[in-house]
Amino acid sequence: MNLYEHTIVVKQEISPSQIEKLTEKYSKIVEKNDGNIVQTQNWGLLNLSYVIKKNKKANYIHFKIKANGKIIKELEKNESIDQNLLRYMTIKVKKFDLETNYFSKNDEIGKKEYNKN
Amino acid sequence: MIKRKNTKNKKKQSNFAKLSIFQNNKFKFKKSCPLSVKGAPIIDYKNIKLLKKYMSENGKILPSRITNICQKKQRELSLSIKRARNLALI
Repeated sequence: MNLYEHTIVVKQEISPSQIEKLTEKYSKIVEKNDGNIVQTQNWGLLNLSYVIKKNKKANYIHFKIKANGKIIKELEKNESIDQNLLRYMTIKVKKFDLETNYFSKNDEIGKKEYNKN
Repeated sequence: MIKRKNTKNKKKQSNFAKLSIFQNNKFKFKKSCPLSVKGAPIIDYKNIKLLKKYMSENGKILPSRITNICQKKQRELSLSIKRARNLALI
């Protein structure tokens, strides 16, 4: 079992209820194949730094997954077909840090780090 | 011979002057790496505020000779900047 961080970039027109369906859909794929989702984060609507397929904004969803490599292949296979998505990325990590959320709406975490520097 | 020596000295001085543009210390020219100090923030592709510090206004990665980051951390930085670019965060 490996630890993965997986992020999805969803188109801006898609409503919040549909986004929940998407997260459920992909978390089911992982859980069916004996994977484990440790955490899901919804970063919300963010400005893209450059235009992707005529979209200026997008929703970001972030998963922290504990699973085998085969499951990631399955996930990416399904996501490459999906028309609601703009991008996806998986990264293998040695350790999760579950506490910090860099995109949470209250900026306390960001301010703390700024003070340190 | 004397003339040659003089020219050499001049070259060295000009190099010194260039270095001092980027570094404020008058006597010490080598500063320690800001990211390998104790309590330094972890380099991560999600931490945009940190990554933006080490990029130019045009979105280029700054060279380590300006920012004084050690080789190991510079590699991590460039990797995480490229990841963030792929997700259109930067």
